[in-house]
Amino acid sequence: MNRGNFLVHLMIAVVLVALAAVVGQIGRWRSMLKVQDTTPKKATKVAPVKVAELDGRPELLVRFKPNTPLAKIKQIAAANNDRVEDEIESVNGLISIDDLDDADVTGVVRQYQSMPDVEYAEANFQIALDDSVDRNSRPAAFAPNPVGAPNDPLFSDQWALNNTGQNGGTANAHIDALKAWAKTQGSAEVVVAVLDTGVDYTHKDLAENMWIRPANLPEYADDELGTIDDLHGFDANANAGDPMDDNGHGTHCAGIIGAEGNNGEGISGINWNVKIMPLKFLGRGGFGDVKDAIESINYAIERKKAGVNLRVINASWGSTQRSKALEDAIKAASDAGILFVAAAGNSSTDNDRRAHYPSNYDLPNVLSVAALDRNDKLASFSNYGAKTVHVAAPGREITSTWLGDQYREASGTSMAAPQVAGIAALILANEPKLSMAKLRERIMKSADPIDTLTGKVAVGGRLNAAKALGE
Amino acid sequence: MGFDRDSATEAAKRDLARRLGVSEGEVSVSGVTSRDFPDMSLGAPVGDEASAMMIATGWEIDLKANGKAYEYRADKYQLRAKGFEGKNYLVKG
Repeated sequence: MNRGNFLVHLMIAVVLVALAAVVGQIGRWRSMLKVQDTTPKKATKVAPVKVAELDGRPELLVRFKPNTPLAKIKQIAAANNDRVEDEIESVNGLISIDDLDDADVTGVVRQYQSMPDVEYAEANFQIALDDSVDRNSRPAAFAPNPVGAPNDPLFSDQWALNNTGQNGGTANAHIDALKAWAKTQGSAEVVVAVLDTGVDYTHKDLAENMWIRPANLPEYADDELGTIDDLHGFDANANAGDPMDDNGHGTHCAGIIGAEGNNGEGISGINWNVKIMPLKFLGRGGFGDVKDAIESINYAIERKKAGVNLRVINASWGSTQRSKALEDAIKAASDAGILFVAAAGNSSTDNDRRAHYPSNYDLPNVLSVAALDRNDKLASFSNYGAKTVHVAAPGREITSTWLGDQYREASGTSMAAPQVAGIAALILANEPKLSMAKLRERIMKSADPIDTLTGKVAVGGRLNAAKALGE
Repeated sequence: MGFDRDSATEAAKRDLARRLGVSEGEVSVSGVTSRDFPDMSLGAPVGDEASAMMIATGWEIDLKANGKAYEYRADKYQLRAKGFEGKNYLVKG
């Protein structure tokens, strides 16, 4: 090309570039040319609600093929007028993407799916809680505690731990906590993460059992999020270090697992001693998005790698939407030896036929939990599934901690999952070296058989803490 | 900010009027009932939304306009249109 032609071409190119930049489409065009994508983004018809477009929240989760350099990923994103919001370190190649155009998510997903460097792409959808909160809870019963019971005044209301037939229940339809506590009452060496709405870590019945970042553990550092002072845990919702609960649900779950026992206050957790790490990803309304759940799981894995004895994650939430990215994150937790206890769902449906996630992910660390009432009957709201729901645990009319030093009764598979997470922690207090696989197996094999649960949950029975401890 | 029974009902009426392109006066309230919903999407998940499995206490708001019935669901955090022309919508939340 001679110099004159070159200059003409250059000027035309400059004009085109300027025009394209003005209409904001240059990135998309360049990308389409590069990846030969035949599915360009369509103009978005403004719908009343676009679930994923939440105030700068990432709209997509994209897993790039192994060993795709981050620099290249950022280049691809920039070429699409998108932004790499975060890299999920625990899952190789998994990136959350913020679409700066706010175009139709489905179209953008398709566009990424068609790229040769991409393994999969999916929308970042919302997740919500799995519980039924009875806001008109009846006053807790005050009655003398049985011999060997903790001195917590609401213990007599905790039928799940010790069912004497109170309030119309069936005696011994419980996890047999009194017998279990003869062996161990938990250990402050075991850390359980509550992946939820946060936890009121100042609650007087929880404060002693809350995880606090040890002085010798540096603040959490993430390439994209920066350094976060995670003194009390992690808030993926705000990418911050204060996981204070503003809903109540996470605080309720935390109390079931580990409200301080025998302190003369409120209730007793399954573990009198334990460390609860709050991972907040659900907002005030109980909603969150899957990217924040993944970010929280990633945080948990990173903290485990840094030496925190985090052995269990409790997940009292779910949806019917499958996410490969979330599945990958939970698998990464499995690889890190973290048990993942998940609520089976509250739709009264069969999870073998209509899947509920994350409880339905077929992974070695997932334990799916159905809810029982105080008579060992499957709760009317509880999902079930002979293949996909593993165990059943008390989940109806469960008294536990609430915001503002309060206590409330609530129902849901949300309340059943922490019973399992709590027992897992209790077992680990007694056998700290037990592997995740053995822990899961122990929990499943120590259930009390219940006829009506045959064909409803895999083990056909209800969790028994005492049996799980070999009592 | 949050909803109570009355503010949720008013917001539902406004939303339906807007969707139908009619005045609010043409929308009437057939009934407002307190009830439990199966999850935190109030049993009305939107599109790809992973709907909450929480049995949440709220209100079913039944409206009428142009001779047709419409359903809204609300709790103190949110308002949803249920099955409007076959789809659910999160009006506010």
